[in-house]
Amino acid sequence: MLELRELEVSYGKRKVLHGINLNLKRGESLAIVGGSGGGKTTLGLSIMGLVEGTVRGEILLDGTNLVAVPEKALRKIRWNRIAMVFQNVENALNPVYTVLDQVSEPIVAHNLRDRYDAKRRAEELMKMVNLPEGRFLAYPHQLSGGEKQRVLIAMALANDPDLIIMDEPTTALDALTKVEIINLICNVRNERELTILLLTHDLYAASMLSDRMAVLYAGRILESGFTPALLSNPRHPYTRGLIRCYPNMTTTKDLQGIKGMMEFLDTGCPFHPRCTQSIGICREKAPKLEENDGRFIACHRGGIIPLLEVRDVSKTFDSVKAIDSIDLTLYEGETLALVGESGSGKTTTAKTVIGLFEATEGQMYLEGKRILDRDKNFYRRVQMIFQNPMEALSHRLSVQEAVKEPLDIQKLGNREQRESMVRHILEEVELPSSQSFMNKYPHQLSQGEAQRVGIARALILNPKLLIADEPTSALDASTQAKVVKLLLNLQEKRGIGMLFITHNLALARKISDRLAVMLKGNIVEEGPSNEIISSPLHPYTEDLLKAAPTLSANVPVVPTNNKNDGQGCPYANRCSKATEVCFKEKPKLQSCSSHRVACMNLKPEKEE
Amino acid sequence: MLTPNMHINYWRELTRNNFGKLGLAMLCLVLVIAIFAPFLARYDPGEPSHSILMPPSLAHWLGTNDIGQDIWSRLLCGAKNTLLVALGVGVFTTILSTVIGASAALVGGLYDKILMRVIDALIVIPAFIVIILVAAYVLPNVWTLIFLISILTWQGGARLVRAQTLSLKERMSVYAARTFGANKLYLVIRHIIPDLNPILFAVFIHSATRGVFMEAGLAFLGIADISTVSWGLMMHHALRFYYLDVWKWWLIPTGLALSVTIMALVFIGHAFETAMDPRLREMEQEDWQC
Repeated sequence: MLELRELEVSYGKRKVLHGINLNLKRGESLAIVGGSGGGKTTLGLSIMGLVEGTVRGEILLDGTNLVAVPEKALRKIRWNRIAMVFQNVENALNPVYTVLDQVSEPIVAHNLRDRYDAKRRAEELMKMVNLPEGRFLAYPHQLSGGEKQRVLIAMALANDPDLIIMDEPTTALDALTKVEIINLICNVRNERELTILLLTHDLYAASMLSDRMAVLYAGRILESGFTPALLSNPRHPYTRGLIRCYPNMTTTKDLQGIKGMMEFLDTGCPFHPRCTQSIGICREKAPKLEENDGRFIACHRGGIIPLLEVRDVSKTFDSVKAIDSIDLTLYEGETLALVGESGSGKTTTAKTVIGLFEATEGQMYLEGKRILDRDKNFYRRVQMIFQNPMEALSHRLSVQEAVKEPLDIQKLGNREQRESMVRHILEEVELPSSQSFMNKYPHQLSQGEAQRVGIARALILNPKLLIADEPTSALDASTQAKVVKLLLNLQEKRGIGMLFITHNLALARKISDRLAVMLKGNIVEEGPSNEIISSPLHPYTEDLLKAAPTLSANVPVVPTNNKNDGQGCPYANRCSKATEVCFKEKPKLQSCSSHRVACMNLKPEKEE
Repeated sequence: MLTPNMHINYWRELTRNNFGKLGLAMLCLVLVIAIFAPFLARYDPGEPSHSILMPPSLAHWLGTNDIGQDIWSRLLCGAKNTLLVALGVGVFTTILSTVIGASAALVGGLYDKILMRVIDALIVIPAFIVIILVAAYVLPNVWTLIFLISILTWQGGARLVRAQTLSLKERMSVYAARTFGANKLYLVIRHIIPDLNPILFAVFIHSATRGVFMEAGLAFLGIADISTVSWGLMMHHALRFYYLDVWKWWLIPTGLALSVTIMALVFIGHAFETAMDPRLREMEQEDWQC
C-alpha cells in the first residue's frame, strides 16, 4: 500500500534521511524504531508532505507518487487517506477550542459532513477511544496526558484513513495509561484494518503494536525484520544496543549503553564511529540493506559477527573426558556465561580455548578463521582473566612491570610508549596511575586492586575475546560488583566478547546475554540468559536455579549424588524425572524453542 | 620443599641469624687470607730451603716442613686453593643442576624420564671412589678436580631444581605469561629462574661445601697434583711425620683452617635454610625476642 523508494530528505545541506526503502502492506503495522534525532519524525512528516525540506525519491501510496503530487491534491489525501498522531501531545492541540471541536475539525474541513453530523461523528470517535463523556467539551489543558493522546487518536481516525502514522504515541505516558493506549490502538486496528506506521523509541510499544520493525539510525535503516524475531535475536550491533539500554522485564542483563554520540555522516556506515566491530570499509562506504537469513541488515560485516566458535571440542586427560564434544558460539560484544557445578569442565573449556590445554578433538574458530596455532597474534585477540589475582600476578613484578609485561612479550612500542599505555590502561580500570602505586608489589594490593591489575594487563593488548575464569569468586561482594560493572563498561566501550565462567547463576544472569549450562563436561542447556532463567528446560538447570542465591529464607532442596554415573544422561542419578531410558542412553543437545537442551524427557513434549 | 614466596634479601636473612653471622665472618676471614696471601706470606710457599722440619720461630712462625718450605706461607696460600675449589665446584655443579633439572621439568616426557633414570643410576655411584680411580691415571690439577667433582655430584641438585621447576611452571603467573604469547625461553629467564634463585643458592652452598671436603679428602689420600698448595696435601705430608713433634704446628693449624672453611659454609647454609623455611623462621624470631 505504501512504498518508499530511495527516499531522501535534506534540510539545506544536511541530509537527514538517506535512501530509505520501505514497503507497507494494507493492514500491516510497521514500527520504525531508533534513538531520538535519528530521523523518525522527518520520515513521518515527509510521508504526510509536511516536511520543510527537500524531498527526493518516491513515496508511493497505492501507486501514486506523493512527492510529485501538488500541495492542493495532497491536502485531499492528507487526513482522508493518511492521518498522523503527532508527537508531543501538549502542543498538538489548540488550547482555545474544546476537544470535541478539534476532533470534528478535519471532518468539517474536508467538507465531508455538516457541522452537526461532524460533531456526532466526533462524539462517536471519542467514545471509541474511551474518553469519558463528560470530557468531550473540555479544553486541552483540562485533560490528562493519556486523555489528550486519546483525543489525538480520535482526531486521526476522524476521516477514516487507511494509514495512520503514529509518532511516539506512548512516550510520555505512565505505564498503565500506556497499556490502555496500546490496547486502544490494537482494538482500533483490528476493527478497521488500519495500516499503522509507528515511529517510536519505545521498544515496548513497538513490540506490542507492530508486525514488522525497522531500525532507523542517523537517517538510514540498519535492520528490519519481523518484530518478535528482531527483538529476541537482534543482528545489527545498533539494534542490540537499543535493546540492551532499554529497561524491560524480559532481559536480565544489566543495562548497557552504546558508546559515543549519534552523528550524521555523508560517507561510510553512519554507525561506524560507535560500532565496536567496524573495519576499514565501514568508514568509506555506506552498507546497503540486504537480505540475510530472513532479515534485512545494512552492515558490511553481515551483522554481529560470531567471535568465537567452538565446534565439537573434547579434552581428555588420560582416560577422563573433561569436556565432551562441546559446541559454543560467542558473538562480538556479548557475554556467554558458562555455568555449572565445580568439576563440570568450565575451567577446562576456558583453558582449552586460550590454549593452555590442547584440545583432543574438534575445531575452534576466531572471527571465522580456524585457530591452528596460538601465536603472538592470537594472544593479541584473546586474553584471559584468572580466578585468583594474587596467584596470577608474579610476586616479583611491580604493578607497572606486570601490566607492561604483555607489551614486552609482544614487543609493542618503545619504552615510553609502553609506560604511557600502562598509565592509560590503569586509569581505564579505575586504578591510580601514580608512580607510587605502580611501584607496588602484589602483596601490597587488596584483592580488588589485584584483580583490576589482572584485568588491566589482559586488556592492554586490546583483545576482542576475554576469557574470564571465575574472575570475581575470590572477591567480596562489593568488590565483585565493581569489577563486574567495570567489565560490562569495557564491553560496551570495546565490544569485547566475554566467555564468563562462573558457578554463580545470579551473577551470570546480570552479566550475560547467553547462558550455557555445563554438567560433567557436557553442555546440557544453552540459550538466551533471560529464557534459561525464566523457563529452564533441563532438570539440572532447574536445580541450579533453585540453589542460586536469593534473599528469601527458603532453604531449597537439591538432590545429591551418591552413585556412580552410568552410560546414560549425566544427570540421571539426581534427576527427579529420570526414566529408564535416561540411565541407558545419553541425550543429545537439540533445539527446543530458543534453547538447546540435552534431555530425554523433552522429546514427547516437543511432539505434542 | 622450600617455599620462597616473597622477595628474599639474602644479606638480611643471613645477618639476622647468629649462625649466619658467624659463618659469614669465618668465610670473610678465609677470603681475606686468600686475597692477601702474597703480602702476608713471608716466603715463597713453593720454595724449599735447607732448614727442614724446624719448630716455630720468629723466622718461620709455624716452622718448616720436610723439604724446608715455610708452613705459615703454605697455609695462607692453601686458602686460595680451597676457595677456588669451593667456588668452582659450586658454580659448575649449580649450572649443571639447573640446566639438567630445569630442562627435564620443562621439556618433560621421554627426555625427563630418561634423565631421571640416569640420575637414579649416577646417584648410587660413589663419587669419591670413582675420582680416586680416575685420579690414579691422571693426577688432577685444581681445574680437572673441579670438573671431576662437579660431573659426579650434580644429581642431587638437579633433582631439587627439577622438583621446584615443576611446581613453578604450574603457577598461575606463569600460565598468565603464556597467555600473553611468551615463548619457553622467556618463561624460563623471566619467571622460572628468578624464583629458582633461593634453591640455586642452596645448591651452590651445598656443593661448595662438598667440593672443599672432597678436595681435601683426596689430597689427604695423596691424590693431587704435587705442585698445588693444598691443605689436604699438607695434612697428607704432615701425617708421615706423626712420630715427630711437627704435627703440632703442621697438622693442627692446617686441620683448623680446613674446619673453619667448611664450618663457615655449613653455617651459612644452615642460616639460609632457616630463612627459607617459614616455620623455622618464626621459631628463630621468637628466640630473638626472648
